[in-house]
Amino acid sequence: MISNFLNMGGYGLYIWLSYAFAALSLTSLYYFSVKKLNSIKNIEYLYQSEKIEEVSVSAQANRS
Amino acid sequence: MFGIFKPRTFFNLANTSIFWLKIIFAFALVVGLILSLVFSPTDYLQKDSVRIMYVHVPSSWISLFIFLIIGISSFISLIFKVRVFSVYAKSLAPIGLVFSLISIVTGSLWGYPTWGTFWSWDGRLTSMFVLVLTYILYVSLWSFIKNYNSAEKITNIVGIIGLINIPIIKFSVAWWNTLHQPASITLTAAPTIHSSMLAPLLIMFFSFCILSLIIFLIRYKYEIINFRVNKK
Repeated sequence: MISNFLNMGGYGLYIWLSYAFAALSLTSLYYFSVKKLNSIKNIEYLYQSEKIEEVSVSAQANRS
Repeated sequence: MFGIFKPRTFFNLANTSIFWLKIIFAFALVVGLILSLVFSPTDYLQKDSVRIMYVHVPSSWISLFIFLIIGISSFISLIFKVRVFSVYAKSLAPIGLVFSLISIVTGSLWGYPTWGTFWSWDGRLTSMFVLVLTYILYVSLWSFIKNYNSAEKITNIVGIIGLINIPIIKFSVAWWNTLHQPASITLTAAPTIHSSMLAPLLIMFFSFCILSLIIFLIRYKYEIINFRVNKK
């Protein structure tokens, strides 16, 4: 029964490769995104301690 | 006008909602996978290979939708000088890139058993390939240009130019002869796909949307902190 399920009527290779590629890509993307965020966790207070709106306002002022 | 898109809105959302979004995503993914791999019927022509659709189609939709947001955000950032939209676009780009790659790879793996070939340079496949290249260019420019303002300006232009490709991808199956089948689901007409296949497709799409939102919030949080620190 399990081998029938894995075989998927002869298309198992294509189906499982597709799902595996999607799972691997999305897991990697999530992992590296979290890792990137964790790398600057120690400076998050810089952002939260002041008014966040200042980012867009000051940025706009810089450009204009 | 763009008050709702203030940096704090998404920053707070990231701090408060990611845990619950993960729970919703896990539930939707498990239900979607069970329906896709076990309960959905086989296609009368494509047999079991149709199950690749439940990964391929949602990935394609999300990659197109994300680039649409990137293009609109780039336009707002460039024309209205609301720079936080560049941060939105920058945070979304890697997600769109990964989904477009999934779309291409799963499409090829689906194409071989149904068309007899992994790849064909027809309208739909070529325009999707161009989308992948545009994503790669967009992400690379942010990585390689060290000056933030220059990178922002150039990527905004790439984002706006890249928008041209979105309707080309969408209508390529109608404009040119192609191996790719026409759309079974459109916004203007009833779906031509049976509900037993539509349900897992929509649930998988929903779960991918939630995952995209989770990753976007994580990346946005990083980018906005980084932006702030660089400005200091």
